[in-house]
Amino acid sequence: MAPHALLDTAEISDKARRDLLQLLEGIRGKKNLVIERSLAGPVGLFVKFSTLQEYGVDRVFFLENDNVDASQKNIIFLARAEQAKQVISVAEQIKRLRRSSSTDHEFSIIWVPRRTLVSDQILEDTGVLGEASVSEYALHFIPVADDLLSLELDEAFGDLYLRKDPTSIFLAAKALMLLQQRHGLFPRIIGKGDNAKRLCDLLLRMRSEVTASEDSGSGSTSVLGLTPSTTLESLILIDREIDFPTVLMTQLTYEGLIDEVFNINSNATEVDSSVIGAVNTPQPTPGSHNSSSTQSPAPTAQPQTLKRKIPLDDKDTLYQTLRDSNFAIVGSLLNKVARRLQISYESRNTAKTTSELREFVNNLPGLQAEQASLNIHTSLTEEIMKHTRTDIFSRVLEVQQNFAAGADPATQNDAIDELINRAVPLATILRLLCLASSFGSGLRAKDLDLFRTAVLHAYGHQHLLTLSALEKSGLLTPRSSSALGIPAAGARHATHGTNYAAVRRSLHLFADEVNEADPNDIAYVFSGYAPLSVRLVQCIIQKQFLTQLRSTGGQGHGNRQASATAAAPSGQGWRGFEDAVKNVRGATFDEAQTGEDKAVRARHILNGSGANSEKTVIVFFLGGVCRAEIAALRFVSRKLAEEGKGKRILIATTGIITGDTVVGASVEERKFGNA
Amino acid sequence: MSKPTADWEKVGGRFYRKVKIYQDVFDQDLELENYIVEGAPYSGAVAIYRDEDKIHVYRGTQAAKSSIDIYSCAGKLIRRIDWDRGKIKALGWSEDEKLLVVTADGTVRCYYDLQGDFTPFTLGHGAQEHGVQSCRFWSTGFVALLGNNNLISVTKYDEPRPKLLAIPPEGPVSSWNLIPPAYTLSRSVEVLLAIGQTIHVVDASDSLDQGLQQGPFRHIGVSPNGKYVALYTDDGKVWVVSSDFQDRLSEYNSRAKTVPNHMEWCGNDAVALAWEDEVHLVGPNGAANQYFYNGAVHLLADIDGIRLLTNNLCEFLQRVPDVTENTFKFGSTSPAAVLVDAIEQLEQKSPKADENIQMIRSTLDEAVDACVKAAGHEFNIAVQKQLLKAASFGKSVLDLYNSDDFVDMTETLRVLNAVRFNEIGLPLSYEQYIRLTPERLIERLINRHEYLLALRVSDYLRLPTDRVYVHWASQKVRVSTEDEESICRLIVKRLDGKRGVSFEQIAKAAYDEGRATLATELLNYEPRAGKQVPLLLDMKEDTIALDKAIESGDTDLVYYVLLELRKKLPLASFFRTINTRPVATALVESSAMSQDRGLLKDLYYQDDRRLDGANLLVAEALDQEDPLTRIDKLKSAYKLLADSKENVNVLKAMDESQRLIKMQDGFEKDLGTGFSGLSVNEMIFKLIRTGNNKRALKVQSEFKVSDRTFWWTRLRALVAKRDWSELEEVAKHRKSPIGWEPFFNECLSAGNPRTAAVFIPKCSNLPVTDRIEMWVKCGQLVKAGEEALKAKDMNSLAELKQKATGTTVHEIDAMIRELAKGRRG
Repeated sequence: MAPHALLDTAEISDKARRDLLQLLEGIRGKKNLVIERSLAGPVGLFVKFSTLQEYGVDRVFFLENDNVDASQKNIIFLARAEQAKQVISVAEQIKRLRRSSSTDHEFSIIWVPRRTLVSDQILEDTGVLGEASVSEYALHFIPVADDLLSLELDEAFGDLYLRKDPTSIFLAAKALMLLQQRHGLFPRIIGKGDNAKRLCDLLLRMRSEVTASEDSGSGSTSVLGLTPSTTLESLILIDREIDFPTVLMTQLTYEGLIDEVFNINSNATEVDSSVIGAVNTPQPTPGSHNSSSTQSPAPTAQPQTLKRKIPLDDKDTLYQTLRDSNFAIVGSLLNKVARRLQISYESRNTAKTTSELREFVNNLPGLQAEQASLNIHTSLTEEIMKHTRTDIFSRVLEVQQNFAAGADPATQNDAIDELINRAVPLATILRLLCLASSFGSGLRAKDLDLFRTAVLHAYGHQHLLTLSALEKSGLLTPRSSSALGIPAAGARHATHGTNYAAVRRSLHLFADEVNEADPNDIAYVFSGYAPLSVRLVQCIIQKQFLTQLRSTGGQGHGNRQASATAAAPSGQGWRGFEDAVKNVRGATFDEAQTGEDKAVRARHILNGSGANSEKTVIVFFLGGVCRAEIAALRFVSRKLAEEGKGKRILIATTGIITGDTVVGASVEERKFGNA
Repeated sequence: MSKPTADWEKVGGRFYRKVKIYQDVFDQDLELENYIVEGAPYSGAVAIYRDEDKIHVYRGTQAAKSSIDIYSCAGKLIRRIDWDRGKIKALGWSEDEKLLVVTADGTVRCYYDLQGDFTPFTLGHGAQEHGVQSCRFWSTGFVALLGNNNLISVTKYDEPRPKLLAIPPEGPVSSWNLIPPAYTLSRSVEVLLAIGQTIHVVDASDSLDQGLQQGPFRHIGVSPNGKYVALYTDDGKVWVVSSDFQDRLSEYNSRAKTVPNHMEWCGNDAVALAWEDEVHLVGPNGAANQYFYNGAVHLLADIDGIRLLTNNLCEFLQRVPDVTENTFKFGSTSPAAVLVDAIEQLEQKSPKADENIQMIRSTLDEAVDACVKAAGHEFNIAVQKQLLKAASFGKSVLDLYNSDDFVDMTETLRVLNAVRFNEIGLPLSYEQYIRLTPERLIERLINRHEYLLALRVSDYLRLPTDRVYVHWASQKVRVSTEDEESICRLIVKRLDGKRGVSFEQIAKAAYDEGRATLATELLNYEPRAGKQVPLLLDMKEDTIALDKAIESGDTDLVYYVLLELRKKLPLASFFRTINTRPVATALVESSAMSQDRGLLKDLYYQDDRRLDGANLLVAEALDQEDPLTRIDKLKSAYKLLADSKENVNVLKAMDESQRLIKMQDGFEKDLGTGFSGLSVNEMIFKLIRTGNNKRALKVQSEFKVSDRTFWWTRLRALVAKRDWSELEEVAKHRKSPIGWEPFFNECLSAGNPRTAAVFIPKCSNLPVTDRIEMWVKCGQLVKAGEEALKAKDMNSLAELKQKATGTTVHEIDAMIRELAKGRRG
């Protein structure tokens, strides 16, 4: 009956680590671990390979490689049970080993995050259910940063919007439910979007089910467990579907660009070693003393690559200051740091007394680590500059900015056409086309046909399927639904998508002038375009700021006095922005969760009157969030802190995505050919 | 009141006590000596089965029918299980009171609720051929010994997986036992097999001879903590050794001619031997005590002692717990003993009471603690009271004392006394109760259908009551003879407002009993949609099950229902079921896409989703190796869409792709491989790069590729080929659909400023400054100068002069002068 604990992401990591190690400990002796590739990175975030070794793991294999050998008697499979594909793969490998190996293996399967009925069914049908001991590992949220939780569901986007498979909604609900059981009910659930509504309904339903089945054994989830939390303020659910453009635009923050150019997986990016230097240079980050291979359980049969893994996480203090900045100012920030380091180094020459000298020596390791980090980020920046300086990059950006500013998509046709002729990567083109479609509520049928032919000619006719899939996802649609009679529900639906022309004005989505060095608005993350998703969050928690912005047209703080008179909407939920929100696609909802009076009172007494004032707002992105949005939300969070509102934003999502992921879910990889 | 020490006996420096718990346990006619008797751990139920190897009195055909009888320790028959399933080789209990019955052919029945419901499984591993000889049980599993000395272990009963242990040597096994996995180093069960003179220790991977000489051993006993092993030799001696056979701890000579029937550990430091009517208790250092009975006696070992069972008596033999010993031992001067004495004085209103208290003033809290603990270990209620009174008295003298332990103990004792009552017959000792936990005690009460007591105990100990209610209701549903409506009403009325009650379980019980309507009715009260699904499926309520699964949001559940429906229903009605439910359809589609294309094709056909059907065929075409079958698939995709007017563009594209494949096939034959799989633009690119310009033009016209595209592609191809002369040839064209700037840029970035420069003059539409810049980029400052001169741009010239070196400085100077002159003139 302790007061609700503050939500701390480190605690979630600890629990995940403990649970995994406990499971491993339960299997005696040395063992080989076969892990699903998409789980390896996330697991590596909270368990080091050396720790796994301490718990008897001899070698690690990827499930997808199908190469686990018979070197150990114990073989453990760690995979997601929601996907039939993985289950079948596990079953096949058990069968293969049983056939080929002379040792009498002990198989264990650990399902993440739960054992499913379907997995049992498949194992039974393939005849291995009796062979393996099955357990489950409730790994839901994985803390990626101290204000960012991810379910790391790589396929969530494709599942939700292309295949309309609601599995990730259910998993998200489960994960959020666990948070509620630990920290109390979200006093308010506010959100936007049809899938988000479904998630909200599911949460409400699960709450009633948990109350109904507060069953034996778990005495801790007593009546008090499900009273409104005193540490959480609200849960804001944002459905990716309501705002595709934000993820389709090229992200312009440092972290966003690293993700766009090199990809970031589980807080690490892989860069050609010619860019950064060989592995034996001093380690980049102060926190990680081990070589990069210990960052995650590396597969034993790793081919000799010239890629080098660079950790990008909270431990790197320099990175923390850089990651959310607009790329335009990263160069000057790096320069500043370089100068500061230079001065620090030179202090040894001016050091006169021995104590001054000793102080210098004491600081040396820190300085060296910082220097190493500086070198890394300087090289990365230079490499990204090479990319951003190209003609193609600036063309693409220009087109995007025009769309964002509200230009008629048709004016950009020639530019896109030229880019196609120049054979830029398909994903870039598709992102532009989808952007045009999302901003303009669909493309004109004539334009769509032209681009269809152009894309098919340039990239192959297999992309008939790609284009069809994009249409199903609602990313690339004809402007009027009658033009193509696609029966898929999504396609028709998409035409009632977000009306950007309206919200651009009402929520001030585009700023002509952006000060990248000292931003005063989230629009800095795209150098002009303010992500709609974050604007919606601001509608709920930063009402005053947004009202000001609207009335001043984003001219900064200059005439704050004038705007103060414009009545700032007060109240909770969407109050004051109902009209703007109406123009955004999908359902709007605002549910308050209250507990039984008796329990609430008891909770108040337990917490005492001086309950701490800082409250957490959880913003959950269903279908994924991009790093620029994270940067924008962190910006909002900082602003709130400056205003002394006593709020902190915790971002949670099904996965971190980029525009390439979004269109990639639809891209047909196969070709008409044997090549 | 009898003295608490009355039943104490000293065995080698230690006190043991034999507590009478119940009298008149069994029917006097029951010839207990002819029965196999097994007791569940923690004073649980007792199962008896007539030993078929012994002769017994014929009592007519009725009595000859064999059965397993389950009694409480007080001799109350809980259940009779009629047995006609072959020869029983072993009976055993798990710690959660599951009764295991193993027959000679390796079939195991696990009776999980004392009421005759069981789950069967077989041992396999040759158990059927060689026959099960005997079994040994531990808290959660057992090991079976086969006729060929192979050993099979089962470690859990909810998902039993019989495993063969290492193969021990041949030879007759004179006795055997096991060390439970929790107490071994390897964390796997270890079996001790006495073969010939020695003992073999067998675990999952190894069989190890311990190299003993003293055998053959008639009995092997393992102490409850797994640390010691007692061996009974052929010559009547008992050896106690450490379980790794490294240290010999004590020895006792029973001087008996016959081998005892039982040898069991009593706690962790004494061994009991039982002959027909005689029990020897062997303590540490070989000291012993003997007890005699007037009937057959059975030993039921428990963790902290032994239950002795005869027709008349149920007794509990245990070492006197230390606190009890200190409190009651003659001449004890421990604080607790003094405190107990004080209470006696107090009752006699003697001032000595206070004297006593003052004497132990400094250690009074210890004394109170000891009295509370000692009370817990007592079976006699009067003694319990006396001790608690003493504790209470001591407590009242103390200024500060945390009474939690005292309160807990009084609560515990109330519960213990209640379940020890004859009717219930669970003579739990305090230690057993702590180890069993209150939750499992309630479980046991439920299994005995003691619902009222279970409910009272749950309430009293503040434990959840839902399980009790559910079990009660399920039982009601099974046995009640009332009509279904009134049963339902009764249950709902009783369970209304009770938290966590699972109506699904009750409904399942009703359904299993064949009361389908009652089940459906009860199911409606289940708040958790997901929980209803499996039962609904069983009840063949397919569509409701599907709806409930969808409602729960759990896709796993939906998949599960879909799998079941797919198996059960004909395809057409399967589709009809799902196509009104978009979630179900989406899930079928997404799983079928990777696993069952045929199903998907049928689905699209049935729903007349032609575009999806056609797309599926395109996807199939992609999987084909041979160009001809690929074209065939595309053709059928085309055909599928041909009627519709809406998909003209898609049709065009499908047609194109067929022609493209054909064309590529032709090129591969003429020009070698590398064409298959290319897109139209890529093909033009490749053709130009390989110098097949005519063919490239043919591709352009065939697919109506725009000039802009063609020019761009040609430019890129020529640059990639580094065919500068051809590019200069292109430059002779008067006009370019893409302008000339791209030519300049591409050539320059390919590192050929010379060719790039060729295109500068052609960029006549660009402003002069751009052209000057272009010349500079090519490193031709003079040309740049000329351009500036032509445009009369003095500023640019001045800039150029700064950049220039060597002779060009003079040339530009000349131009500046010329321009200046021109201006002046």
